[in-house]
Amino acid sequence: MREYLKMEAATSGEIMTTLRLATGGVCSLAGLGLDAGEDCKVCLTESLLLLSHAGYGRACIAFFEDGGLFVRITAEGTCGEAAPVPEDDISAALLEALAVGVQMEKREGRLFGVSFRFATDGRN
Amino acid sequence: MEEIELFRQFRETGDLALRNEIVEKYLFIASVLAKKFVGRGVEYDDLYQVAVLALMKGIDRFDERKGVKFSTFITPTITGEIKNYFRDRSRLVHLPRKVAELRGRVKRESDRIAAETGKAPTPRELSALLGVTEEEIVRCMEAGRVVSLDRPVDGEDGATFYDLIAAEGDPFESFETRDAVKTALSGLSARERELIRYRYGEQLSQTETAKRMNVSQMFVSRLERKVLARLKEELKGGMA
Repeated sequence: MREYLKMEAATSGEIMTTLRLATGGVCSLAGLGLDAGEDCKVCLTESLLLLSHAGYGRACIAFFEDGGLFVRITAEGTCGEAAPVPEDDISAALLEALAVGVQMEKREGRLFGVSFRFATDGRN
Repeated sequence: MEEIELFRQFRETGDLALRNEIVEKYLFIASVLAKKFVGRGVEYDDLYQVAVLALMKGIDRFDERKGVKFSTFITPTITGEIKNYFRDRSRLVHLPRKVAELRGRVKRESDRIAAETGKAPTPRELSALLGVTEEEIVRCMEAGRVVSLDRPVDGEDGATFYDLIAAEGDPFESFETRDAVKTALSGLSARERELIRYRYGEQLSQTETAKRMNVSQMFVSRLERKVLARLKEELKGGMA
């Protein structure tokens, strides 16, 4: 798989706009439509929220070309106190609703990474 | 009452009071999901309304015996309805107007702040001031660099940018043979050929062409459009 972009960032809200804009750029590069691009941004936000609630302050975000766009977000650094919220269920269901092939990677029972993909033909 | 019990009772009785109770209990899901889609050109209130309607429909369809949590069941249902709403409504009607409006507000506030403080405001400051997200501010500023193809071109008598854009490659060079062009041009009147020569041979502007032909620029514009349309038709027919 060809890598489009890889970056490491905080999972906190203040960098989110920058990450969403970068995601929009990669989606455009990958040939995703406007709707899929916006959906991909939502998925990125939800994944980072989930990792943040799992206790991780930083994450590595990587975008790959795999016939569509494959996105992998993995926790980085040390894990703090988990603080799950009831909305986490909605975040997970939203990821499933918007992207395909959603995978939640767990380590020692705790969420460690999220990956998903978007097709370029809009069949998500 | 527990989620399963609530839905079981509603399914068995169809009691509207129970349905209302369920709606109120899960309204937060509609709110949470509507917020996720803000910033795509549709107001939150509209999204929330779509989400609540989807929630109500979903409550009627949900079967607690299938062992799925209601939030897991309803999220894709609401998301699907919101996405359908975007597909049907937002792209054509709301986005350009909203972006243009926001851009106007951003510009006014930026100018005012710059005049008052001597420095341009950051997107974060504008976001707080205008009550929109930073991302919307940045996106609308980016959108300002885009020119609508339907926008009229100044001094070109109603012609739009789309009319002036060259097709991929020069259309006149891409014709199969120069003969096709020659044949098409031969069907034009002397005045029409004169116009084509000035505009496309000598690359004169419409105003300069008008001066040479001793007519108004408006006349040139209209005649040019008419001639080009006819040439296109003839060339299409000739090359089919």
